[in-house]
Amino acid sequence: MTGGWRALLRLLAIQGTWNYERMLGVGMGYAAEPLLEDLKTVDPVRHGEAVVRSTEFFNCNPNLAGLALGATARAEYEAVPGDQIARLRTALCSPLGALGDELFWAGMVPALVGAALAAAVLGAGWWAIVGLLATYNLFRLGTGVWALRTGYKAGMSVGSAIGASWVPRAVARIGPVAGFTVGLAIPLVAGWFLRGFGWPGGLGSVALAAVGVAVTRWFGPWLTSVRFTLLGIALLLLFRSVGL
Amino acid sequence: MTELPPLGVVLLVVWGTITALDLVSVPQGLLSRPLVAGAVAGWLAGDLEAGLRVGVLFECFALDVLPIGAVRYPDYGPATVVAATLAAGAPWEFGLGVGAALGLVLSIVGGWSMQVVRRWNARAIQQRSAALAAGEGGAIRLLQYGGLLRDALRGAALTAVGLAVASVVELHLSLDRRTAAGLSLVAIGGALSAAVSGAARSAGRGARLRWLLGGAGVGLLLAVLG
Repeated sequence: MTGGWRALLRLLAIQGTWNYERMLGVGMGYAAEPLLEDLKTVDPVRHGEAVVRSTEFFNCNPNLAGLALGATARAEYEAVPGDQIARLRTALCSPLGALGDELFWAGMVPALVGAALAAAVLGAGWWAIVGLLATYNLFRLGTGVWALRTGYKAGMSVGSAIGASWVPRAVARIGPVAGFTVGLAIPLVAGWFLRGFGWPGGLGSVALAAVGVAVTRWFGPWLTSVRFTLLGIALLLLFRSVGL
Repeated sequence: MTELPPLGVVLLVVWGTITALDLVSVPQGLLSRPLVAGAVAGWLAGDLEAGLRVGVLFECFALDVLPIGAVRYPDYGPATVVAATLAAGAPWEFGLGVGAALGLVLSIVGGWSMQVVRRWNARAIQQRSAALAAGEGGAIRLLQYGGLLRDALRGAALTAVGLAVASVVELHLSLDRRTAAGLSLVAIGGALSAAVSGAARSAGRGARLRWLLGGAGVGLLLAVLG
């Protein structure tokens, strides 16, 4: 695979031109450029068509985009008809989006952030932050290398390669881990903050949190937790200004 | 807020820009997570403790965000940098609330500014649609670098404006200790409600909920014993 490492680096900026029309499309085209370079000398017409196809609408989780990129690049070299490649791209959007979001945004990120929060409030300081960054980025970059290689190796049969891979199993396992670490972190964070204010202040803050959970559920999505907090701050300033 | 030399301000703006870029554009390496953004900003502002406190607080708000598809969400990176800078230098019990208030407003502005950048990206693509249809590699690169530049400018402007507002707040807002502590308690309550809401929503009703409750039990025990 020529240009694999350059494509991998460019995948890190795949959302650089994110927009509501093509979403990741132009970013995919940017990452595809090094992979398609050899095609320029072999078949310049096909290369031009492949570049155009690579910038069309595409959306998925950025960390698994390498699977689609590798697969479509391979298909271009194998001279698969253009409409089939376009259909493959479209078909990959939903599964790569769902799997990647579950694995990363709903799994790895909260799992590691929960662990880092717990470690930070227990006194780990910088180590908590270094651990968070190192673990996540090693996992993410490793996944990126695997995705690009697997996609390129599988070509048009990338769907079966994804189904047989470690990703669906990891998605099933990471959720409970994320639940545990976030659950662990919340009381620790509450104790870390509220210990300095004594019982009345602490209880008041916890009561406010309970009210916040309830009202943001009832009045969401308009009343987000950020808006609820800002409303609370504004009311407090108002009450204090009139001497309450 | 501590007295900052010009170089310190520049470094904070650079750090705010990096966190803004990291959220969506490049490299998405969790540098924009409030815990990271806040600790580094606190260290740059000369008060690591304040940075860590602000970072943990905003991280609780960030746990309420699931950035899937085209969902809109606040940008907590530059917001945390500004909040940590404003909170630096004061005892955290009194600086946290004021920093959080400014940071939360800035996070909403940051979220809105991302939508503006996305619309500009779409407009730039429309303007070069003929070049894209012709498969010109130069046009793709130009669009990509343009998108990154727009996002970087957004982050820099957000952080610089935020720091300017923070210095005005520092100069003109004087709160008594009771009010300042009250603001911190409200901010902590809001952050905890965000973390609980986000965790409960992600947990659903299956195995993850049981693990969440198990983790909360262990955390509660550790918090009581600690």
